[in-house]
Parts: sequence; C-alpha cells; structure tokens
Amino acid sequence: MNFGRVPGEKGVWAVPYITNMAMRVVGPDGQLLPAIREQQAAARAGGAGARGGGGGGGRGGSKSEPWMPWMPWSAAVYDYNSKNESKYDPEGYCLPPGGPRMMATPYQMEIIQQPEHKRIMMIFEGATHIWREIYMDGRKFPEGDALNPTYLGYSVGKWEGDTLVVENKGFNENSWLDYFGHPHTDQMHVIEKWTRPNKGTLHYEATVTDTGAYTRPFTMAWDIPWRADGELPEYICQENNRYLNRLEDDLGQPIFGPRPQPGQKPASGTR
Amino acid sequence: MKRLLFLLVLTTLLVAPSGAWAQFGHPLKGQWSGQWGPANSPKRLLLDLHWDGKEISGRVNPGDENATVKSVTFDYSDPSAWKVRLTAEGKDKSGKPVSISVDGTLENIGAYSKLFHGTWTEAGQKGDFTLTRN
Repeated sequence: MNFGRVPGEKGVWAVPYITNMAMRVVGPDGQLLPAIREQQAAARAGGAGARGGGGGGGRGGSKSEPWMPWMPWSAAVYDYNSKNESKYDPEGYCLPPGGPRMMATPYQMEIIQQPEHKRIMMIFEGATHIWREIYMDGRKFPEGDALNPTYLGYSVGKWEGDTLVVENKGFNENSWLDYFGHPHTDQMHVIEKWTRPNKGTLHYEATVTDTGAYTRPFTMAWDIPWRADGELPEYICQENNRYLNRLEDDLGQPIFGPRPQPGQKPASGTR
Repeated sequence: MKRLLFLLVLTTLLVAPSGAWAQFGHPLKGQWSGQWGPANSPKRLLLDLHWDGKEISGRVNPGDENATVKSVTFDYSDPSAWKVRLTAEGKDKSGKPVSISVDGTLENIGAYSKLFHGTWTEAGQKGDFTLTRN
C-alpha cells in the first residue's frame, strides 16, 4: 500500500487540528462513543451539555469526559489545564508534539516509504520541523536504559494486509496528548494503525495504554485528508514568538525567566 | 592554555541559563531541592520521587542518612494547589529511627519551576519548608 505520492505527483497529507482527543475516542466498532455523539448533538443544539468536553469548544474539565479512564491525579491535572486554558501547553512553546499528537497538529505531512531500507519516514512541517522513523525490519525494542525516552518515542512497524501497524514505546514526559492538556507519563505505549481507504483519505487510529495516567486503554481515530496540490511549506514556530516573553506562571514569575530560589516564599495573590 | 580553558568553562557555566526541563507527567515526580527549618539555620533538602502508576516512592536526602518515603496522599480539591501529605522514615547518624511528616501544598503545577511548600516535621522538630523541582 502506498501512503505517499506516485512519481510525478504532488500532494501531502493535511493533518487536522484536533484540540481535544477525548472527543475522538471510539469503541470496538470504530465509531465515536455514544456519549460523545450525544455531547456533540447537545453542543449543536446549544443546550445543556454544550460546554462539556470541547464539544462546543468549551472546557468542561475531567467531569465533562466521564468516558476517559482517569486516575485522580490525571483528572486533577486536566482540570488545572482546563482552568488556565492550556497556558502551559508545551507545543505552544514550540516543543515537539510527541505521541499521537503529531497526527493532530495541523500543517502538512509527507510519508516516504523506503522498503529497500526497511523503514518509513514521516516528515511533519508543522510541529517544529520534526520527522519520525518507523523501523520496518522486525527489530525488537531496546530494553532498559537503551530505550532513551524521547518526544516521539521509538517506533517499530509492520504491515497487516493494507494496514500499517506501528508500536511505540519510550516516550518522555515533556508533552501533552493534545492542546486541551490530557497528560501522559513515560509509561505510555501506543499502537497506531493507518489505512488508506481511498486516494484522498488516510484513516488514523491510536490506542493509548498508559498505566501511569489512565486506568485502562482507549482508542482514538480520525481521518487525514490528502491535499493533491500540496507540498511541504516552511513554517518556523520559534520565529518572533513574542507570546513566550509575556507568559507568567501561577506565582507571577516569567515562565522563561529566573526560577524561584530555595527558600523563596510563593508570591501571594498571583494565582 | 589551562587558564584559558578554565576561563572558558567558567564563562560557559556563568552564562548558561538555569536548566529547566519540561515534565508533564505526575507533578510530584522528580527531584526536588530546597530547605526546611528556621531562616537562620535552614537544613537542606533533596527529594527524589518516583511514580509507578500506583504510588509515589522515593527518598529524602539520598545518602548516608536518607529516609525512605512510606506514604503520600493527595487532596485535589483545588486543582491549582494540591494538598500533599508525605511520611518518611530513616535513621540519624547514631542509627536512631527518625520519622518525617510533611504537610504541604504543591503549586505552579504546570510550570517548569513547580513549588512544594508547607510544614516539615522531623524527629519532633517542626518548621516551614520550600522545595522547587530541579
């Protein structure tokens, strides 16, 4: 299965902007969970429940996403990120998206299959100019300290018919799952599946198992459209990012300035 | 040449920004440094805490007189300021058991410079403590 261009053709995958992955959780049938569909319907109608879970763009916190298998701490962190409207989003600091979020950060993406090298490369223009390498040579994962935790993790893939199945481990904790601020830990393990049901669509599915943050696995899915006339443009997140210079933390300190020193009392009334 | 190298290393250390690594997993996980006790004679603290998905474990002041964390409980009523209770047990220089009890607040949870402060009780002595995440 070719997930890229054919010779002489232009085209890139236009990765969608998915701000809240909890609203893309699917059941075993691959369909959105009924609770999510109900919430989306309520959002469209503007009635009760419209604010929950980002269905209408709202920030309802963990209670608005009861289908998410929260641990108490991950729910509290999500509530915190909801309350401050994602002020601490690491991707807002131009850090790499990490994990499945790279498939939900807008801008274009290209897939380059190199069967002769037994690998697949994915090049992401948005998301701080990152690329990922999926090893297709049947290798085993490095163990212990050899599995160096990284933003994108370590990816080993295989073909199951026309489906590309990629197992990912070795994530660091420097990223969020999405803009809304679902946390994850370095215990996260992700199984990704890609199919191309037609020329213009890449179907993406990610099953997240994170025993450090969630009590059971969950699967998210969405489509990525093909932009037939597209090529990878240049986008530099770091350039002229004045937003960072204005940011203050909960204690009124510059986020990227000097850090509080040991013994320093928290400033009062700055939260 | 050695002097030049020394100056180069010294200059690099002086101008290098303080290290601040993002860490968005469990907010209490990681190494924390700070102090507790009266301002005129503070005692240094280093906490090394881990999260395995079930419990927080770790050590207070790793080294010859370290204490092992025995329990940590949380109150998340205010998502911006978690109440944390931590107990630890160790031994002093003479081998006598020492109990540590900590009642603290975890703040600035999303920032690189997370703050953990409150009351530290160790071997019957009580004082304020402040820790920042390294």
